[in-house]
Amino acid sequence: MARKILLIDDEAGFTVLLKMNLEKSGGYEVKIENDSTLAVSTALSFMPDAIILDVVMPGMDGGDVQAAMQNIPRLARIPVLMLTALVDSTELSEGAVAQAGKQMVLPKPVNLALLLRVLNEILGPEPEA
Amino acid sequence: MEEHSIVESVLDNLPVAVFAKDATNDFRFILWNKKQEEVTTLRAEKALGKNDYDLFSQDSADYFRSVDKAVIKRGKLMKVPEEIIETKNGREVHLRTVKIPVLDKETGRLLVVGISEDITEHVKSLDQLARLNRHLVATNKELQDTQMQLIQAEKLESIGRLAAGVAHEVKNPLALLLLGVDYLSGGIEPNDENVATILKQMRDAVDRADRIVRGLVDFSSQRSLSREPTELSHIIDEVLLLVKHELTKSSVKVSVRIEKDLPLVYLDMSKFEQVLINLIINAVHAMSGTENRQIKIRARAEALETVIKNEGARKREVFRTGDRVVILEIIDNGCGIAPSDSNKVFDPFFTTKATGLGTGLGLSVARRIVELHGGQLSLVNRVKEQGAIARLILPTKLETGKVKTLTNPTKEIDTQPGDLSVSKGAETQPLY
Repeated sequence: MARKILLIDDEAGFTVLLKMNLEKSGGYEVKIENDSTLAVSTALSFMPDAIILDVVMPGMDGGDVQAAMQNIPRLARIPVLMLTALVDSTELSEGAVAQAGKQMVLPKPVNLALLLRVLNEILGPEPEA
Repeated sequence: MEEHSIVESVLDNLPVAVFAKDATNDFRFILWNKKQEEVTTLRAEKALGKNDYDLFSQDSADYFRSVDKAVIKRGKLMKVPEEIIETKNGREVHLRTVKIPVLDKETGRLLVVGISEDITEHVKSLDQLARLNRHLVATNKELQDTQMQLIQAEKLESIGRLAAGVAHEVKNPLALLLLGVDYLSGGIEPNDENVATILKQMRDAVDRADRIVRGLVDFSSQRSLSREPTELSHIIDEVLLLVKHELTKSSVKVSVRIEKDLPLVYLDMSKFEQVLINLIINAVHAMSGTENRQIKIRARAEALETVIKNEGARKREVFRTGDRVVILEIIDNGCGIAPSDSNKVFDPFFTTKATGLGTGLGLSVARRIVELHGGQLSLVNRVKEQGAIARLILPTKLETGKVKTLTNPTKEIDTQPGDLSVSKGAETQPLY
């Protein structure tokens, strides 16, 4: 069974390409939400295995979205991987994953190989088809 | 007789020096009032019947005589705005004098009557005023220079703020491009090598742009440092290890000389490593045309003799004369700095390196970090030899060894750049 990923990012072009890449790598079913104010309802209806969340977005930012999801028990347990263009190189050297508490942050532009590795770690090995 | 004594008494009580010389008798003095005695420190008894050559120096006498003769010749009053006589005790007296030709009808003698005002104090005040004015002009110039430096610093700050915003906006399209390249890379036609090359070049271009943008964020980030008492030798060792590959690749010899018992410096290790790496890599690049490439790293402690004013420095006069500082120099024998570039080397995006080799941010980031440490970074050419010196001045404590004891807690708080850690915008803050 494909693992379900919800992409929440206002950059439509970015989400389309990330979806393509993830689906091409196999084993992922990806849904896109470009409107952060709809993120919680989309998450509730899609019930993803992991969420990839942008930080700087109009309306609700990544922090707001995550806080809102933390208040809903069904969503609170879903791992969230934050992507941001804000992190600088001293915080995240090449290939590093910032982990403060359980929050994982990856810098943009995304290193696809690293992203796939992190998703694997979050979700465990790909289930046998 | 009575009339005469009245005149004498009036003359002696005038606040101006009055004298008269007999032009028909070798300009001998025939009148010498009290004030004239005071001004010249010569008693009337000594002066009357003598001429200028008897009383004054040759030069002075020549001068007085020439004026006297002119007065007689022109037959009218002459003003001498300022003349100087030197008294017997060596004091210079400045006089403003009026000389008048007078014909004594009774005797038929031609007289030169002089009235002198002592303007010594006036001249002194003028001198002092001129000195004060010069001082004022100099201070004003310094103020203007400082203002220029502040404007320059403010300009850099603005660039920094702008950079953080631009960086974020540029990273998003870069992210998109990279994902596009990633996707296409997975489906290359196996018999078309060009596609692979193109994709590789596109990926490299995105990487390069990303590096520039990261550099910008480094430059603009205003986060506080986490400083620890550090031995400079330790951090130099670490850095040399990190750049070893670069040094070996370019066959650069490194010699390190650190003064014994160097005081500890308060550094943010990782940030400061970046400074030294930037400076060393710069030195290596500058030596590309040099045969025997050599970098000397020197560190010593000293009491600061003169305070250097950095152009573009954000905090002026971080140091005071006499402050104990550690001076770290990275000396190369490379191409040095062209005079026309010396003002620009710390400007963001200024680079003399070929496209792709440098972003032009290395030195501005380095200076920024050094300033956050309360230090100064300057780059100068070597005097006798070819090459440049990157000089870091770092604040220190007075005693060595006892790092936990703050000799001056207040000062310690001052030197922590806590004020700089207050972020102007959330953009540069860590997010978690």
